[in-house]
Amino acid sequence: MKIEGEYTFDGPREDVWKLVRDPEVLATCLPGTQSLHLVRENEYEGEVNVHIGPIAGVFSGQLVKLWLLIPESCTLTGEGKGKPGFVNGTGNVRLLDQGDNKTLMTYAGEVQIGGRLASVGQRMIDTVSKSMIRQGLSTLNDAIKARVAARADAKEVEYTPPSETEFAAAVAKDMAGGLLSSKRFWWLALAVITVILVVVWLNVR
Amino acid sequence: MTKKFIGKRIVRNEDPQLLTGQALFVDDVKIPGMLHAAFLRSDYAHARLLSIDVSKARQRPGVVAIFTAEDMGNDWQPGPPLVSPPPTAKDVIFHSRRQVPLVKDKVRHAGEAIAVVVAESRYIAEDAIEDILVELEPLEAVVDLEKGLEAGSPLVHDDLESNLAAHLFQKKGDYETARDKADLVIKRRIVLDRGAASAMENRGIVANWDAKSQHLTIWDTTQAPIPIRNGTAARLGLSEHQVRVIAPFIGGGFGPKMMMFYAEELVIPWASKKLSRPIKWIEDRRENFYATTQERGQIHDVEIALSEDGHILGLKDVFLHDTGAYDPYGLTIPLNTQCHAMGGYDVKNFATEVSVVFTNKTLVTPVRGAGRPQGIFIIERLLDIASKKLGIDRVEIRKRNLIPPDAFPYEHKIIDQAFAPLILDSGNYWPVMEKALEMIGYDKFVEEEQPRLRKEGKYVGIGIAPFIESTGVGPYEGARVTVEASGKISVATGIGTQGQGHFTSFAQIVAEQVGVDVEDVRIVTGDTTEFHWGTGTFASRGAVVAGNAIHAASSIVRKKILELASKVLETPVDELELEDGLARVADIPNKSISLGELAVLANPLRGAVQPGTEPGLEATAYFGPNYGATAFGTHAMILEVDPETMMIKIKRYVTVEDCGTVLNPLILEGQIHGGVSMGIGNAYYEKLHFDENGQLLNASFADYLIPSATEMPRIEVGHIETRSSLNELGTKGVGEAGTIPVPALFAQAIENALYNQKLEILEMPLSPNRLFELLNEEKSQ
Repeated sequence: MKIEGEYTFDGPREDVWKLVRDPEVLATCLPGTQSLHLVRENEYEGEVNVHIGPIAGVFSGQLVKLWLLIPESCTLTGEGKGKPGFVNGTGNVRLLDQGDNKTLMTYAGEVQIGGRLASVGQRMIDTVSKSMIRQGLSTLNDAIKARVAARADAKEVEYTPPSETEFAAAVAKDMAGGLLSSKRFWWLALAVITVILVVVWLNVR
Repeated sequence: MTKKFIGKRIVRNEDPQLLTGQALFVDDVKIPGMLHAAFLRSDYAHARLLSIDVSKARQRPGVVAIFTAEDMGNDWQPGPPLVSPPPTAKDVIFHSRRQVPLVKDKVRHAGEAIAVVVAESRYIAEDAIEDILVELEPLEAVVDLEKGLEAGSPLVHDDLESNLAAHLFQKKGDYETARDKADLVIKRRIVLDRGAASAMENRGIVANWDAKSQHLTIWDTTQAPIPIRNGTAARLGLSEHQVRVIAPFIGGGFGPKMMMFYAEELVIPWASKKLSRPIKWIEDRRENFYATTQERGQIHDVEIALSEDGHILGLKDVFLHDTGAYDPYGLTIPLNTQCHAMGGYDVKNFATEVSVVFTNKTLVTPVRGAGRPQGIFIIERLLDIASKKLGIDRVEIRKRNLIPPDAFPYEHKIIDQAFAPLILDSGNYWPVMEKALEMIGYDKFVEEEQPRLRKEGKYVGIGIAPFIESTGVGPYEGARVTVEASGKISVATGIGTQGQGHFTSFAQIVAEQVGVDVEDVRIVTGDTTEFHWGTGTFASRGAVVAGNAIHAASSIVRKKILELASKVLETPVDELELEDGLARVADIPNKSISLGELAVLANPLRGAVQPGTEPGLEATAYFGPNYGATAFGTHAMILEVDPETMMIKIKRYVTVEDCGTVLNPLILEGQIHGGVSMGIGNAYYEKLHFDENGQLLNASFADYLIPSATEMPRIEVGHIETRSSLNELGTKGVGEAGTIPVPALFAQAIENALYNQKLEILEMPLSPNRLFELLNEEKSQ
């Protein structure tokens, strides 16, 4: 499966770059993340708890940076495994300074999926993953806006990340028009997108 | 003569039991203390197994045992080869690689079983599967047939030099010489892809080793209970009489349940014996998409040589056949394809060469049609193209080439799936085709209706596709027929039943011989304790082979009844008749004795049975044909294509079958209806999509579409009877007749409907999407 797209953040590139390097921020933007840490130079490990509807399971993932150009772009590979199957992917992310406190993120990746994710979820994955990327990036953008606003007002601003339920609801809204015929597809969509997002976000570190 | 039952439209004996939910299926078997099994299956299509850690899973409460390949020790053995390569074929290459009970070193297809958990419930077993830590090193997968044969391709079986599983060449006459004389030579590449059998009931098995009686009972959704019994006994070191295999009611077989031994059939009885506990495993639908065999992947490079008047001078076919990860079923499917590529036509020169390829996909074994639809698709497509190129009507070009009635038995000089010479025993083909043309109103449609509808802007097409079906192959089946003291008849035969109506059609054969009503004949199929000689239900052979064995046994019983009645009634045999459960004097109807009374007399409690005679009114007999009986048929269809959505609507669907003697037209029509439904799926809905890593992308009925009631047309069935010369009943099989010509028919009718488009359909299955793509490809060229 090919994943590509772009998103404009409401903040300068330096802020976006800094923020996405912070595993704690990423973990809160990505509901269900249990751990996300650097294991050795340019290599990360993470676990994401997928718990939607009747399905629960932990996805473990590794990520290796292959090529890095601070603070503009990088290429890396990642893999994740869990009860619903596996995901392997290679991705490339670029951050382009648009001026006027705007940063354009472009991302492109090739993702291979297997197991239940592939065999049962195939039909939904493309649509759902796009919506979830948009929603995940929008959550991240809220965090960036909060940080930018805090600096402007020179005081602490509380940023509250969405809960797993809120995140799922926002995705459903994004997909508008009932493209999701059943809630049971969310778990696998989330599983896929979780790994994709980890790839995308860690990319920029 | 007694009342006629054969050929009568008799409602099915088994239906009250089935329709009221009283029939026993494997999942209905419940034994006190029964455990449940679940299998850990590979997510990868091709991977090296590095390690398995089951320690955490073993600790889960309710888990009784977990077994891996290592735990099976010396009992870990691949399944037996079902069919060996043909001994008579020259220069045949065949590498036998069979499925394993549990993966030992390498995963060869997604869904292959790695470990089994046995637990107090299926829920616990499935949860414990998640606790198992398995380390797999993914390898590049072999998916594409042509790439799989290229040098440097990854290998499915590391000990072989390539992924070539088998190679076989057969020829009749001399194609090259024929081609040199031809006015027209057409070459095409034809691609056929995989589908699933999608039986309503998935597979299932319950095994119960009783340590005290030292006896193993197995309920199995198999089409071949006797070979399963014999093989299981051999593997477990038991006497065959210590093992009873019961194939109870089964919700559809369609071929994949003829495959043996599946990994689960190797593991569950073994585990039951190991634990001395009954164990049940029922396949779920997602497992079925991976672990139950599939069929149809082939790539053909075909060439036909014709004279300008449309006569076929020769045919050449070089093709690849996908066998999946293993090849236990030998060359059955490609042999069937070779034997059907000439259709019912008088082809004098034929060359056919197949290379069978191992791939990292689910195993391929026969699925209803079993290589035949591919053969028929090839020849019918080529004739359609030839008809257009030569300007000869498509009916006419077929009529000119059909084997004439005086040419039977017609020998093709190649071997068939049973390694017997391909001989078409009997037939009268043109009247069958003519009847189909009449029933669908071919001339009127083409001359009047179609031009009118086209003026209205409708895309309506007609198709007509004749076909042969090789059926009723050996080696043999048997049956035992007994008159009971109640006057009712009990019959046991070795084959299993999966919905074919055996309890009725077989009862009709017996009833006609011994003069009782059909409902007074009780048939037992698929229980090895009742009858333990035979092979199984496959190749459209039940009614032919088991039917004729039952006929033979009932004829002997009839003779025994008459001889005893002759003594009792003091009347010569030829003055007696058997009717209404009585033996009576034909001219003096009240001078009679019931079959029940005769049965008691034949099995006395005192006195002596004469030396050289047997007690009871019972006989066992066998039937084995030298070669299979070949049926013929023609399907015709009118369909409309929506030019915007490419959705199709079938307006008329006609089939005419010549399967020799019809035992029960009601049951025959049911077989045809089911077969056509499967054929429609093969042609326009059902396709298994594998990605380049061997992942199946549509393993659910949400994505893998099978025809439902709304896609099914009303099917009109006509019959013509040309008795087979190979058996007493004159029967030929019909189990696959509904499916075989449907893809060829669809291709022709769709091309005919989209008359103003440049379209040549050379692949199956199609779908609305694929048809749209094909039309765009043609436009852009």
